[in-house]
Amino acid sequence: MLGKGVGVGGTKAPKPSFVSYVRPEEIHTNNQEVAEKEVALHLLPGEQLLCEASTVLKYVQEDACQHGIYGKLICTDFKIAFLSDDDSTLDNDVCETQFKNKVIGENEITLHCVDQIYGVFDEKKKTLFGQLKKYPEKLIIHCKDLRVFHFGLRYTKEEEVKRIVSGIIHHTQAPKLLKRLFLFSYAATAQDKPVRDPQNHTVMFDTLQDWCWELERTRGNMKYKAVSVNKGYKVCERLPAYFVIPIPLPEEEVPRFQGHGIPIWCWSCHNGCALLKMSALPKEQDDGILQIQKSFLDGIYRIIHRPPYENVKTEDLSSNFLSLQEIQSAYSKFKQLFLIDNSTEFWDTDIKWFSLLESSSWLDIVRRCLKKAIEIAECLEAQNMNILLLEENASDLCCLLSSLVQVMMDPHCRTRVGFQSLVQKEWIMGGHCFLDRCNHLRQSDKEEVPMFLLFLDCVWQLMHQHPPAFEFTETYLTVLSDSLYIPIFSTFFFNSPHQKDINMHHQRQLSLPLTQSKSSPKRGFFREETDHLIKNLLGKRISKLINPSDELQDSFREFYDSWHSKPSDHHGLLLPRIEGPEVKVWAQRYLRWIPEAQILGGGRVATMSKLLEMMAEVQSLQEKIEERNNSQGALQAKAPSLLRNSARLSSLFPFALLQRHSSKPVLPTSGWKTLGDEEDLAKREDEFVDLGDV
Amino acid sequence: MWWGGRGHSFNIAPQKDNPELGLSAPKSIQGSGMPEPRRNQLGSCLTSGCLSGEQILAWAPGIRKGLEPELPGTLICTNLRVTFQPCGWQRSQDTPLSSEYDFALVNIGQIEAVSGLSRVQLLRPGSLLKFIPEEILIHGRDFRLLRVGFEAGGLKPQAFQVTMAIVKAKAQSSQGQQYAGIILSKAGQSSASRNPPIPLLETSEDWETERKKQGARDWRVSTVNERFDLATSLSRYFWVPKRTLDSEVRRTFGHFHQSRGPRLSWHHPAGSDLLRSGGFCTASDPNKEDIRAVESMLQAGHSDVVLVDTMDELPSLADVQLAHSKLRTLCQPDSSAAEDKWLSVLEGTRWLDYIRSCLRKASDITVLVTSRVRSVVLQEHSDRDFNGLLSSLVQLLSAPEARTLLGFQSLVQREWVAAGHPFLTRFGETTASEEAPVFLLFLDCVWQLLQQFPAEFEFSEFFLLALHDSVRVPDTLTFLRDTPWERGKQSGQSNSYTKVYTPGYCQLPAGDSINPQLSVWNWSLRYSNEQRLQFHNPGYDPESCPDSWLPRQQSSFTVPGPPSSVWLFSRGALTPLNQLCPWRDSSSMLAISSRWFPRPAISSESMADQEWGLPSHWGACPLPAGLLLPRCLGPQIKLWKRCYLRGRPEIQMGLLAPTISGLQDELAHLQELLRKWTPRINNS
Repeated sequence: MLGKGVGVGGTKAPKPSFVSYVRPEEIHTNNQEVAEKEVALHLLPGEQLLCEASTVLKYVQEDACQHGIYGKLICTDFKIAFLSDDDSTLDNDVCETQFKNKVIGENEITLHCVDQIYGVFDEKKKTLFGQLKKYPEKLIIHCKDLRVFHFGLRYTKEEEVKRIVSGIIHHTQAPKLLKRLFLFSYAATAQDKPVRDPQNHTVMFDTLQDWCWELERTRGNMKYKAVSVNKGYKVCERLPAYFVIPIPLPEEEVPRFQGHGIPIWCWSCHNGCALLKMSALPKEQDDGILQIQKSFLDGIYRIIHRPPYENVKTEDLSSNFLSLQEIQSAYSKFKQLFLIDNSTEFWDTDIKWFSLLESSSWLDIVRRCLKKAIEIAECLEAQNMNILLLEENASDLCCLLSSLVQVMMDPHCRTRVGFQSLVQKEWIMGGHCFLDRCNHLRQSDKEEVPMFLLFLDCVWQLMHQHPPAFEFTETYLTVLSDSLYIPIFSTFFFNSPHQKDINMHHQRQLSLPLTQSKSSPKRGFFREETDHLIKNLLGKRISKLINPSDELQDSFREFYDSWHSKPSDHHGLLLPRIEGPEVKVWAQRYLRWIPEAQILGGGRVATMSKLLEMMAEVQSLQEKIEERNNSQGALQAKAPSLLRNSARLSSLFPFALLQRHSSKPVLPTSGWKTLGDEEDLAKREDEFVDLGDV
Repeated sequence: MWWGGRGHSFNIAPQKDNPELGLSAPKSIQGSGMPEPRRNQLGSCLTSGCLSGEQILAWAPGIRKGLEPELPGTLICTNLRVTFQPCGWQRSQDTPLSSEYDFALVNIGQIEAVSGLSRVQLLRPGSLLKFIPEEILIHGRDFRLLRVGFEAGGLKPQAFQVTMAIVKAKAQSSQGQQYAGIILSKAGQSSASRNPPIPLLETSEDWETERKKQGARDWRVSTVNERFDLATSLSRYFWVPKRTLDSEVRRTFGHFHQSRGPRLSWHHPAGSDLLRSGGFCTASDPNKEDIRAVESMLQAGHSDVVLVDTMDELPSLADVQLAHSKLRTLCQPDSSAAEDKWLSVLEGTRWLDYIRSCLRKASDITVLVTSRVRSVVLQEHSDRDFNGLLSSLVQLLSAPEARTLLGFQSLVQREWVAAGHPFLTRFGETTASEEAPVFLLFLDCVWQLLQQFPAEFEFSEFFLLALHDSVRVPDTLTFLRDTPWERGKQSGQSNSYTKVYTPGYCQLPAGDSINPQLSVWNWSLRYSNEQRLQFHNPGYDPESCPDSWLPRQQSSFTVPGPPSSVWLFSRGALTPLNQLCPWRDSSSMLAISSRWFPRPAISSESMADQEWGLPSHWGACPLPAGLLLPRCLGPQIKLWKRCYLRGRPEIQMGLLAPTISGLQDELAHLQELLRKWTPRINNS
């Protein structure tokens, strides 16, 4: 008996610890099924099973009635997974298998994706943390990607309940050491080596060459130079090994305040104006030091104020813009609108939807970010001024605004490769503290701020208003936001390039591919077929720079109005509309797990599939014409047939699976009695009592 | 006038000798104020577009502002409309009216005159302009905005005059008034004939054809109301169960409010019937035989009957009106709502909330109609507002053919126009203060469906906008009358009965004032060919709705006896009823509003046997592919920006999404290229 379990599990992950978690009675219950289930659990290289519990009831979320599917709840050092006892749920529609996420299954949650865990004790919901005295009858897991899982534990053996609940709480809520991140064990075991496509690759900005190339691309090399003064992180651990500073600035100045107070180049506009950032000098009480700081800064300012540099406008982001606390509290209110425990609750809040949405002020924060970015774009574009972003560490709002401005002004950043390079440049090399901001290690809740998500939301607003200007789609952004919590990609799991380099160092000796694949969460995350969706067919990669405009306006409003009164050039400057009705909820990201939000056969996907069909037709016609033109053997047209066969996709595609649709959900469930189900439960309960006695 | 005594005061004057429709005052303006020389120059140009009986009251050169590009042209006020005529623009012979540049006088909601930055005057009827305007803003009641700046220098009196003329003409206009003498040009007619015409349902043949199309074999066309003597608000013809005699129809309908008894609205291909009916007349005291007849008409041969209380959970007429006017205030360009408070103000209008309830209710009813073969009766007291809204929505949700251009127009014609929706009253142009834009609420609901299912509709948002804007254009009678009877009178439709009974009709100068064939569906009156091409949704994918209806069970008209189950659908739940009609037992108790007696708690087990009580049953029956179930969550009900925010050009971002139509152009272009290439290759 024991051998069976180990044998099957062992083929995947030969961990001795596995044995200790399997109790004879578990195998008792359903020999045959257990064996089959072990096959279904897919473990990644290096993944270890920690604990499990059987006969867990996963509730179907869509209605208040208490029915669901039985299965096994498993916690590994990478994820929490639920394996259904009912095999029929596995072979669902074509879409499910076709568009399955390769890493995370429908019933799987990575440990980092867990947001809050609640337990239900006698109908009362309580937050679970630390050591528990009493174990709940129901476990509710809120995920950071806004999924909500309900697991009923009433029919699970007490011991198993204890083990699984405390296991899950411990592995998701307790502070963790960086070394314990799953990505290290994955890296140590993973074998596959991603191939780096030399032509179409994301620029990592981890070599001097990459920076020089970027300077050349934006024609910033006349006034700025790439420096390697921080090679080996000698000067400062916060900054990347290579970065760009104004040419007249002596490299020796950089180390004086560990890189603080140094204007660092982000991007150059076509007219030569540049976007710079600077981390503020440490606050000092001592007058002497203050004096030194002042003279240092004066020197710096003198350099960048002198020709060939344009006028500099300083934007102090720490003092008169959003505060991080504001963002975090807005998001925590905002996300509650989507973390729905059951449908009834949703209908209750639905009447006040708009005012609840407004009171969270998340959309207003998005609007303020967009507005600030437009202001900066206006200075660069219309007033020919350099912009110097100033922030305490230059790694939060600086990253957000500088990358947002570049998405608006540089069409290259609206291609997929360009966008990935931008994230790499501004966020990864810019030293955004992903580890702290995502609270991956659960060490301090105070540091948690969804900065990167806010950035993606802002980009989404732009994309939603100007879809043809982007090569990628919102699905790409959504998948990108999800990869923040998948610890097999190292991209979003460090606070700085320095931290990553020292931690991944010994891995590199093993010549493992992680450093190269760091920005690949997007590539191949879904199976190939979905790439059509992720890659916007309309966006074309255009490296054309913005046409110089000779208009010189002095106010934001004029700039904004005049841009919007002209037909927009999708390969030039792109400004979002920021009026009240124009800033919207990113429905795909936030609503995708709510069954009530699913429009069967509707939504944007319906238009998209039509578009794809027409694109295929255009392509084949174009090929035919070419064929006749050249009268040569032509290439076989391969039309993207992905959406053809699946006649009716839902609006939540590709995230929600096509649920077997019942006609019922439109009706409130008030009058219903689920007699059948309850009887069923009662029977099962009896069975277990019997078993226990045996 | 000949129908003046009927209680409605429509200001329609088809007589030729009084073409200016009682507008005599503006004559003086016209005579005295216009600088004559210029008038002669422009005269022919301006009058060329005039309709018969239309008179130019005043005009002034100006520049249309707010929209790109700014257009120089002439602002003209006539006794029928305000028009901005761009320089060099000629009215096409085919489209005598312009959807873009015309503002019917009744459509004018608010007029503002602006001078400088600070002087703004709101012009009410009878108010006198206090300064010479530099700019005039005309806010349409259909949310459009016409903003014209006047040229400076020498022409100031004209600016003043045209503004005053508009204010006066507006004050004297009324909804009942109609453009006279619009006749479809030959070109327009020929282009119209390419598409099958929309059945106006004014003849019994139309009704018969439609009945056959729906496959309603157990129904027939009743001619009992042919002379409108049963009910003026009902259409001449309607569908009743085959086995019901006309005399029975006449008797039973008398027991309903305004004689609007139960009639077939739509026959579901799988066998169910959707009926609509007015409220029971609680005052009447039918005999047993009548009650039986009423019951069998409601039952329509099915053993399972569901009565739907239409008004339950839906807004009242006053609610709709209030919400709409709040919405208009919010959407006006000078709306005071701050950007960060916009959403809660929008919520405060409750307009979206009402849309949500309509959609929710409609999809509930759709499920009722689809899930089992039964008779579903929509019952509203007046049967003229929300019954039409719900029944149209149900058909849009369940029948793919209702989502085609032709199908949708016939749907509106049948469920709104022929069914007697009081358009004139609801758009606030009669003395009755029952203004409520229920029809616009319906259009918004359809727009929501279009948003949610972009590939399922043959028509586009632009078409819905065109329909939205048509309700106040007085070109055809479709939306200008309250009842089919009035419409029939006016359009001069005569048959032998009317001739005998109302001899006045014979002398009606039919065809003189209006072409009786004209309806709102003659789009070429107002929309150019290019515009009409935009009515088609390029994303429409008709193949995605296969005809998958299989008749579930033969509808059993032969089943005698009372229905085996009777339910009331209210508050989203089914309640069993012990009888269909309120009169049978104790009429005194039934007279009060709570006329329904829920069956005294029969054991819930037997209730669960009814399929409604047991959700698992529902799951087992998968919904057919052609059925749409809209989602009504807060984030999914959206504001129809392209309609309501048109007055705020800074928000407008192009009427249609450019991408898909651009792609279609490209496709057409390539196909053209290919055609050109093909013969050459073959020849060589």
